[in-house]
Amino acid sequence: MAGPTTTPELETPLIEQKNGGGGGDLPPAGGNGGGDGDKNRRRRQPSPKRYYTGVAIGIVAVLMFFMALASAFLVRKGGADWVPVRIPALLWLNTIVLVASSVTLEMARKRLAHSDAAGFRNLWLVTTVLGVVFLVGQVVAWRILVGQGIYLASNPASSFFYIFTGAHALHLLGGVGALVYVAKRNFGQAQVTQSVAAEVTSYYWHFMDALWLFLLALLCLGK
Amino acid sequence: MVTYDENGNAPPQAGPGRLSRIFSTKHKTIGLQYLWLSLASVLVGMVLSTLLRVQASWPTTAIPFLSGFEGATERYAAIRLLHGSLMVFFVLTAAPQLGFGNFLLPLQIGAEEMAFPTLNFVSLWLTVASLGGMAASFFRPLSQGIDVWLISAALFSLAALLSALNFSVTVIEMRAPGMTLPRMPVTVWAWFVNAILSLLIFSVLLAGCTAVLSDRMLGSNFFSSSAFLASQPQNLVREGSLPVLWQRLFWYFAQAEVYIAMLPCFGMITHLIATFSRKPVWKERLVVLAICGVGLIGFCVWGYHMFATGMNPYAPLVFSVLASSLGVPAAFLLASWLGTLWDGRIQFTTSLLLAVGFISLFIAGGLSGIFLARHDLSRAAVSEDFVIGHFHLVMGVAATFAILSALFFWFPKLFGCRLNETLGKVHFWMTFAGVYFVFMPMHWLGLLTQSTLLPEAQRIAVASAGASIRNVVTVATICTVGAQILFVWNFFGCLLRKNEPEEENPWRATTLEWSVASPAPQVNFADAVPLVHRGAYEFTDVGFEDFVPQDRAPELPAQKQN
Repeated sequence: MAGPTTTPELETPLIEQKNGGGGGDLPPAGGNGGGDGDKNRRRRQPSPKRYYTGVAIGIVAVLMFFMALASAFLVRKGGADWVPVRIPALLWLNTIVLVASSVTLEMARKRLAHSDAAGFRNLWLVTTVLGVVFLVGQVVAWRILVGQGIYLASNPASSFFYIFTGAHALHLLGGVGALVYVAKRNFGQAQVTQSVAAEVTSYYWHFMDALWLFLLALLCLGK
Repeated sequence: MVTYDENGNAPPQAGPGRLSRIFSTKHKTIGLQYLWLSLASVLVGMVLSTLLRVQASWPTTAIPFLSGFEGATERYAAIRLLHGSLMVFFVLTAAPQLGFGNFLLPLQIGAEEMAFPTLNFVSLWLTVASLGGMAASFFRPLSQGIDVWLISAALFSLAALLSALNFSVTVIEMRAPGMTLPRMPVTVWAWFVNAILSLLIFSVLLAGCTAVLSDRMLGSNFFSSSAFLASQPQNLVREGSLPVLWQRLFWYFAQAEVYIAMLPCFGMITHLIATFSRKPVWKERLVVLAICGVGLIGFCVWGYHMFATGMNPYAPLVFSVLASSLGVPAAFLLASWLGTLWDGRIQFTTSLLLAVGFISLFIAGGLSGIFLARHDLSRAAVSEDFVIGHFHLVMGVAATFAILSALFFWFPKLFGCRLNETLGKVHFWMTFAGVYFVFMPMHWLGLLTQSTLLPEAQRIAVASAGASIRNVVTVATICTVGAQILFVWNFFGCLLRKNEPEEENPWRATTLEWSVASPAPQVNFADAVPLVHRGAYEFTDVGFEDFVPQDRAPELPAQKQN
């Protein structure tokens, strides 16, 4: 019920031609005022660029969310009741899995660019599986901590450990959802192509990857 | 809570059934639904404030939900919280940005829809859920109520984040050809800057809510309240910890909300004043810069505070630093509004009166903010009446005037009819006088508590004046709230009486939303994507009229395109 129109795109308005590459930049402020003289302009489909911009802005918001928690972490760790958490060694393995998933995701996208649908599907599946493995690994890491008697409520440091890993896992779960969506959706008559969807998803996935490295560094160095 | 469903939907020519009109992803439907939500909230919120005033003046009166309960002070705190939450979240945040913004933003930039209609739909219903939660928290005992309230606040933050994402992408990606950034109406600028600001602030609020909720429900230790209470001045925690903490948390939200509420109002007021003065916005670039400045300063000061205290909602806040840092861009805006009015061919419509009323309240509230800047927190907390008077004038009432002003202006586009001007003017003058009678004496009341500095003999006389001032405030509140019946009468009378179709552009305004029918049709721009050829405020004499619409081609100055 959302779709404003189904007429195929006839022409690309000037503004959108000018701003080629990736998402997030503001469109040029200048512009010559649009294609004058073309009075029979048809209604156009919204450009797929909005997905790039959308994911870029979404990333800023997610980053802000974690920065807020990180600031709370840094201020709070000076407190007297702070007992640092020993990070389970499993997390390093998980980190390798997550970084590997970013690599396979890029390989999958390269396959797609070469119109190798089967290669794309396989590598994309590998990425998804690696993502799930990471999530399972995180849960196992929590179990290890619980086995050592370190709970969410034990002390501020453990609270932060669980909320960082938990919030990141929840966000990554969204990323896994996006991976599955890109693989399963029929892009036949959709407004976006599979490669656009894959690229947008890849931005989010790499961001989640980088965010995890940051959080891990914070948890390791900040204790 | 469902009243807004009844009327707030697509125009009658719409084909689809009732259910799909309520659960619609169309930006106009969603915008109207936010406005209905706000209308319901503002009416309930006003009744609550009257109850609070009656309780303050005549404590023995039997009041529903307040007296007859165990722990009347707790109920008093709860009723204040509900009043504040309704007004701040569902009126001041929802109406100017989400209500008017959703309805008008795509129209003003010549787009067919928001960038992500489904996301828009999700954020609307998250907001509705949040409203339900806040209302429910009021009926729960205090300790449960806080949890429910926090969950609702988290939901609201999430909804606001999704909306902000949608707004910013829409402005960046969905503008019609020719709608360059300098040609965007100031309203669009304000919604855009506000969306960016909301994006940054609400994600932090969401993190804060998550941490506090986890503390309260899972026993984690992000903010240990015992350490906080120990670090506070004695006079703040004297009445038991919980209500104080609750209030403090509310203030933490309200901090950021000041900017979120005011920014779109600045945009709308600038827009209206230019239209009714029949003059371009004076120093338009500077106004846009000032609006960006409000967003930037708002975020920097607030963000600094967040990083300095580790997002601790219990950390002492100095409202005044924020309030006074708003002063510089606010002064620019003020200069521009007066400069636009100066020597204009002013049309004294109700909408303009309300806009000027906004300016007046904004100045009055801003001046008392200077006094607040001289207080450290403990003194500000002592003279609570002064703080209440101040922020109600500058934020609550001023923003409400801006919302009303926008409503009078865009009513034809929203509903296809014009509000009655005479009734509107009577309502304006009653409300305008009323709010000054309510909130000015509150400043005096606040100052009275400082009377310990006076000599003994005067102190007694001054203290005894307090009770009578309180009664003046209460009577004025009742009168002002009563005057709103006029507005409700005008509003619904207009909706029910719609007889002949309203013209496209009754105010002879320049922006794109006035190039389509009133009320705005199902499909925004059915014939063609509008081409924008000029800035948003070209009020110049072109022979038979004094304005040039944005979509008029330069080579045909005398003949309207399409």
